[in-house]
Amino acid sequence: MSFFSVNNNCNGCLACVQNCPANALSHRDEESRRTLLHNMSLCARCGNCWRICPQKAVQFDGILNGAWDEVVTMELIHCTVCGEPLYTDGFKTALTGKLDYSLETLCPLHKKTFSLDAWRHLAFDDRTDEGSER
Amino acid sequence: MIVAEPKPLEEIALSIAGYKNVLILGCGTCVSVCLTGGDKEAWILADELITSKYFKDTPPSFSVQTIERQCEKDMLEVYLKMPPETDAVLSMACGAGVQTVSEIFKTLPVLPALNTTFLGALEETRLWREKCQGCGNCILALTAGVCPVSRCAKKLFNGPCGGSSKGKCEISQEVDCAWQLIIDRLEGLGRIEDYGRIIPSRDWSTDRGGGPRKLIRPDRDSSISKS
Repeated sequence: MSFFSVNNNCNGCLACVQNCPANALSHRDEESRRTLLHNMSLCARCGNCWRICPQKAVQFDGILNGAWDEVVTMELIHCTVCGEPLYTDGFKTALTGKLDYSLETLCPLHKKTFSLDAWRHLAFDDRTDEGSER
Repeated sequence: MIVAEPKPLEEIALSIAGYKNVLILGCGTCVSVCLTGGDKEAWILADELITSKYFKDTPPSFSVQTIERQCEKDMLEVYLKMPPETDAVLSMACGAGVQTVSEIFKTLPVLPALNTTFLGALEETRLWREKCQGCGNCILALTAGVCPVSRCAKKLFNGPCGGSSKGKCEISQEVDCAWQLIIDRLEGLGRIEDYGRIIPSRDWSTDRGGGPRKLIRPDRDSSISKS
């Protein structure tokens, strides 16, 4: 999806491209077609395009209130009693390596002791001392 | 980046006491990055105020919004939707944002929730240090990239002073002597001879001594191509 969009007033004048301080707007002319391009990773969300567009064509709402992008999806481990999502499978594997016992798949409510131990280990995790037992 | 810190909760509560419907307005840029005035902090502040002990009477009802930049009047006018019945705005922007919101909503009190503190740089996670005072006449080219205006307690242009000891400033052992930093960096750059150059007295009218400043860029109009 594109965060940056224009309405039907856009006539391809490229005022937005010329005035974008972050060089986040560009265009491509191919044969009989002009395409407006936007790069969200460059966009500073300054609104200059919206501000200077002579056609009032820039729809800035999408940049201010854009939708969420899905980044990654992983397997979840749930509490075997109540089904509450606990952590991902990968998180369990990483944490189990730091503990001297296996994590039981129970939520804090159903197994307070194990859960507290796990979080205590996380809280004192030292990135400079990876893999060491505490 | 503009860095700000939260005002004490008691001071905030006192400033909004008596209002019934308060909009807590976060700002999505500088103060979000320095963890003081963004959307997350706006919601936290609402929770803290609701449960605070500082209201003698019923606390106001709070609504929370965050807008990308409170310092841009035209964008605020279009995109800030003021909830009905709002009788005060608690702005979590820097001073520029608070004043811009005030200019738009002429009949609403706009109250600051932050103390704007400095222009700084992120030194490490959750630590920002002042690096610039916006004096309007940058001399970093002469001082090896270390600013004596913002980082020397005396703003000396030809230092260090006698209060410099073992690389630290006399005001605190926590504070590096800016001129020691300048000398060390000049040595590192192989330009220590620049240290002998006397930096002349300057015209401070470009600083706040010349009154409120403004910037106009008539050269950057739509006829200028980025390429």
